[in-house]
Amino acid sequence: MARPRAPLLQGTLDMLILQTLRSGARHGYAIARWLEETTRDALQIEEGSLYPALYRMERKGWIEAEWGVSEIGKRVKLYSLTPLGSEQLRIEASQWEHFRAAVAAVMRTA
Amino acid sequence: MTRQSTARTRQSTARTRRKPMRRLLRTLFWKIPVEQEVEEEVAFHLEMQTRRYIAEGMAPAAAREAALQRFGDPESVREECRAIGHRMEVEMRRTELRHELRQDVGFALRLLRKNPLFTAIALITLAVGVGANTAIFSVVKAVLLQALPYRHAERVVVIWNGYDQPGLEHAAIAAAEFADVREQQRTFDGVSAISRQRMNLIGEGEPEQLTGYAVSPNLFGLLGATPRLGRGFSAEDGKEGSEKVVLLSHALWMRRFGGDPAVVGRAINLGGRLRTVIGVMPAGVGFPDAPVGFLSGRGDLWVPYGWEQARAESRGDQYLGVVARLRSGIGIEQARADLDAIASRFRAQYPDRYAGSIRWSLVAVPLRDQMVGDVRTALLLLLGAVALVLLIVCVNMANLLLARGAARQRELAMRGALGAGRGRLARQLLTESMLLSLAGGALGVLLAWWGAHMLVRLDPGNIPRLDGVRIDGEVLAFSLGISVLAGLVFGLMPALQQSRLDLRSALQSGGHGSTMGRGHWRFRNALVMAEVAMAFILLVQAGLLVRSFAALQDVDPGFHAEGVVSLQLSIPRAKYDSPEKTAGFYRELRSRVAALPGVEQASAVYPVPMSGESWGGSFIVEEQPLAPGQPEPHAEYAVAMPGYFRALRIPLLAGRDLTDQDAAGAPEVVVVDELLARRSWPGQSAIGKRINLIGQPEGTWSTVVGVVAHVHNAGPQEEGEPQIYMPFLQRPQRPFFVVARTAAEPAALVPALRRAVRAVDPDQPVTALQPMPRLLDGAVARERFNMLLLSLFATVALVLSVVGLYGMMAGLVHQRIHEIGIRLALGGSPGDALRLILGAGIRIVLSGLLIGLAGAIALSRSVAALLFSTQTTDPLTYGTIAALVLLVSLAATWVPAWRATQVDPLVALRDA
Repeated sequence: MARPRAPLLQGTLDMLILQTLRSGARHGYAIARWLEETTRDALQIEEGSLYPALYRMERKGWIEAEWGVSEIGKRVKLYSLTPLGSEQLRIEASQWEHFRAAVAAVMRTA
Repeated sequence: MTRQSTARTRQSTARTRRKPMRRLLRTLFWKIPVEQEVEEEVAFHLEMQTRRYIAEGMAPAAAREAALQRFGDPESVREECRAIGHRMEVEMRRTELRHELRQDVGFALRLLRKNPLFTAIALITLAVGVGANTAIFSVVKAVLLQALPYRHAERVVVIWNGYDQPGLEHAAIAAAEFADVREQQRTFDGVSAISRQRMNLIGEGEPEQLTGYAVSPNLFGLLGATPRLGRGFSAEDGKEGSEKVVLLSHALWMRRFGGDPAVVGRAINLGGRLRTVIGVMPAGVGFPDAPVGFLSGRGDLWVPYGWEQARAESRGDQYLGVVARLRSGIGIEQARADLDAIASRFRAQYPDRYAGSIRWSLVAVPLRDQMVGDVRTALLLLLGAVALVLLIVCVNMANLLLARGAARQRELAMRGALGAGRGRLARQLLTESMLLSLAGGALGVLLAWWGAHMLVRLDPGNIPRLDGVRIDGEVLAFSLGISVLAGLVFGLMPALQQSRLDLRSALQSGGHGSTMGRGHWRFRNALVMAEVAMAFILLVQAGLLVRSFAALQDVDPGFHAEGVVSLQLSIPRAKYDSPEKTAGFYRELRSRVAALPGVEQASAVYPVPMSGESWGGSFIVEEQPLAPGQPEPHAEYAVAMPGYFRALRIPLLAGRDLTDQDAAGAPEVVVVDELLARRSWPGQSAIGKRINLIGQPEGTWSTVVGVVAHVHNAGPQEEGEPQIYMPFLQRPQRPFFVVARTAAEPAALVPALRRAVRAVDPDQPVTALQPMPRLLDGAVARERFNMLLLSLFATVALVLSVVGLYGMMAGLVHQRIHEIGIRLALGGSPGDALRLILGAGIRIVLSGLLIGLAGAIALSRSVAALLFSTQTTDPLTYGTIAALVLLVSLAATWVPAWRATQVDPLVALRDA
C-alpha cells in the first residue's frame, strides 16, 4: 500500500512529540507508533531522529523522563509532559494554526 | 526545580546521600549512565520494531533490516543523544552545586549572625593576620621585588675600595684609580664615575638646595635609561670647554617647572652658573635611587663630568662612586677576578699605598644588593614574623571552630542523620570558614591600606623606594591568596575532624559534648601549644631588638644634642669664589645667629655628627716614620668654627679651643680627639705635637692645640675613627652646618635662623634645618622601625595565643564539669578543681615554651645581623619573655579554673 509520504516540515517534530505526550507518558517506540498510526504513516519520520529531539526537550525541561517497565518486561524510559512542555505545546500549536491558515488562504486564491 | 524531579536526578540524589564524591566523579568523568541509557533506548526501539515486522510475517533477518532502515543510522542517533545527555548532566551538577552553595552560604550567614561575638572575634583576628601580611608584603614588593627602573640593572655592579675594617668595606675611589680601572678592566662594557654635588637652584621661585650628581656622560646608557624628553648626555658632554648642560629628574621637572616641556633648551641658574637643560629623565629614575654606599639621596639633576680626563689627581683623594656594567655572558666572579688582577698591579706599582696591613682590594657588589642589601634582612624578618602571626591566627581560628564544633555536634549529627553525607557536611563547614576568611581578608586589606600609610609615615628615611609602596592588584591578589589559604587551613582541620564524628553516639549523648574524645582534646592541646611556641619565638626576637635598641640608646655619642638646632648650607662657588668671601659669609651668619634671642652659643662645622655626611682621610705624625708597607693612619676630618665644642658640649680634655685668631696667616693648628691623641702619642701629652693633614704640602705641619672627647659621627652603631678638627678660618669651605645652642625651645629658633640666612644672602637655600636630637633619632630610625614593628607583631601574637589558650581552657572546664562535679560531691575541695584545671593549662604552656625555646634559639640567627652589642642567646631576654608568657598564660587559665571551683556538684551531676 504505497501511500504518498510527505517530508516533515522543519521544527514541527517537537510539536508532534509534545502533542503525543498529552495523553500520558510514553516511551520512544510508543511515540513513533502513535505518530505512525495517527498519520497513517503519511509523515516521513526517520524514527531515530525522535531520540535527539526527546533528549533536547528533556534538557529544556519541556518533558521529563522516568524509568519504567515495558510491555516486554524491559527497563525503558517513559517520557511525560511537564507544565513547561504543555505551555510550549500551546504556543507551537497556535503558531502552527496561524501558519496553516495563512498557507491555506494563499492556496484558496487564484 | 522541574528537572530535579526527573528519574535520573532522583536516582542520583539518592546516591548523593550515600557517596557524594563517587556521584560527582561518575557524573563528571564516568560517562556510563548516559551512555548506557542511550544504548538501551535505541536497542529497545529496534527490538520492538523488529518484533513487529516479524509478527507481520517477515523473516527475522529481513525484519531487523527493515527496522534499521526505518530508524536511520543508530550510531549517529546515539552520539547526538549522548552529547545532549552529557551537557544536561553537567548543567544539572552545576545547578545542584550552586543550589547547595547558596544553601551553605545562607546557613553560614545565619549562623554567623546568631553568634555575633564569635563572628567579631574571628573577623578581627583574621583582619589583623591578613592585614599585617598584606602591609608588609606591599613593602617587600616595593622595596625588594620591584624591578629597578634600569634595563641593564641586573648586570650593573658597584666598584669600591674595600678595606678590611668596619665602616671601610665599601670606600670611595680616587679619580686616578677610576681612570686606571677603566683602562685596565677586561670584563665590563662600560664604567662610570659619580660624585655628589650640592647645587642651589636660583631664580625659579624659592631658592632650593638640590641633590645633584656629576656623572660620567655614559652613566645612563650604561644603566639602561633614556630621557623621556630631550636627549641624554653624549660623549662630548663634560669635556673641557663643552657647553654646560644638565639633565633633570622627572620629580624636579614636575615640582619646579610644572612639567613644562619647553624647559628643554632653557638655561637654569645653578648656584650662579647657567646650565642648559637638555632632557628630563622618566619618572622613577633618580640615580642613585637608594643609598649606594656613601652616595645617598635621590638625584634631582645630573651634570656631565669628564672624570676620564681628570687623570692627574692624587690617589689619596677618594670621593667617587663607580658603577660598571658586566659584559653580557660575564659573571660577577669573572669580574671579581679581573678586579683582583688590577688590584695586584696597583699593589706592585704603589706598594706604600696599597700593600698595607689593612687588607685592601677592589670589590664589586651587584647594584641591587647595594641598594636593598641592608634592609633585606630586616624586611624578610618582618615578613617571617607576619607569616607566623597569620599561622597563629589560623591555629586560633581552627581552635575556635573546634570549640564551636563541640557545641554544634548535635546539629551536625542531626543533619547527618537526615542524609547529608560527610563530604557534604565538610563542605558546609568549609563554606563557613571560607566566608569568614574572605570577609576577614577584606577587612584586612582595609587595615593594610591604613598600615602601609603608617609604614611610609614611619619611614626611617633610609629604606629605599619606600615611597613606591602601593596596595595594587598584585598585593590584592596576595591578600586574596593568603585569605583563601588561611580559610582552607583553619577550615579543613575542624571540618575533617567533625565530619568523622560518630553520628549515633553524638545523637544519643544528647549533645552534651561528652563525646569529644581524647583525640579531639589532644589535637586542640597541640594547637595551643604551637601558638604559645610561635608567640614565644616572636617575642624573643622582638625582645632582642628592644635590648639592642636600648644598648644603642645607652651609647654616649660624645656630645649633647638637646637644645641644639642645626642647618645645612652650601654656598655656590660662582658667588663665593674666594676663601675670603666664603669666610666672610659664615662669619657674618655666625654673628647674626649668635645675636638671636635665646641663643647661648653659635658656631659651625662640617660635617655635623650623624648627618650622614662624612669626610675621611689619612694623616702623618711628625717624627713617626712609617715602616715600608705600613699604611698611613686614617682619621675622620672636620672643619669647625670657634665655639663648636661648647655648642655641642663636647668636653675639651686638654689644651684650648679653636679661636678667631686661628685664621689665615696664623700658624696652622688643629684640635684632635682623645682617640687620636692616645693612638699617636701613647702615654704623652698631645699638645704641641704636629701632624701633616690632607691637602697640606709634605713637610709642613699643623700643631695640636687641644684634645676633645671622641664623638660618634656616623651614629651610635659605629665607634668611628680618630678625629681631626681644622679651623674654618684657615680652611674656609662652602658646604657647612651652622649649629646654635639655645636655652629656649629649639623648634622656636627655626624661623629666626631661616631669616638670619636670608638676611646675609637672599638667594641662599637652607636644608636640614631642625633640632639636632632629630639627627640622633634619624641615626637609629631604622633600628627603631624594626623594633617597633616586630614588637607590634609579637604582641599581637601573644594576645592571639592567650585568647586561644583561654578559649581552650574554658572549653575544657565546660567539658569536665561532670567530672569536677563528681569530685566535689565525693568530698574534693574547690582547691582540687582549681589545681586540676590550672595544672592542665600550665602543662600546655610549659610544653609550648619548651618548643618555642628550641625554635627561638634555632631562628635567632636570623636576627643576629640586626643586633647591636646583644647576644642572640641573651639569657635575660629569654628569661623575661618566658616569665611574661607564663604569667599572662596563668592569668588566662585562672579565670576558667576559678569558674571550675564554683561548680555546684548537684547541678553538674543533674545536667550531665
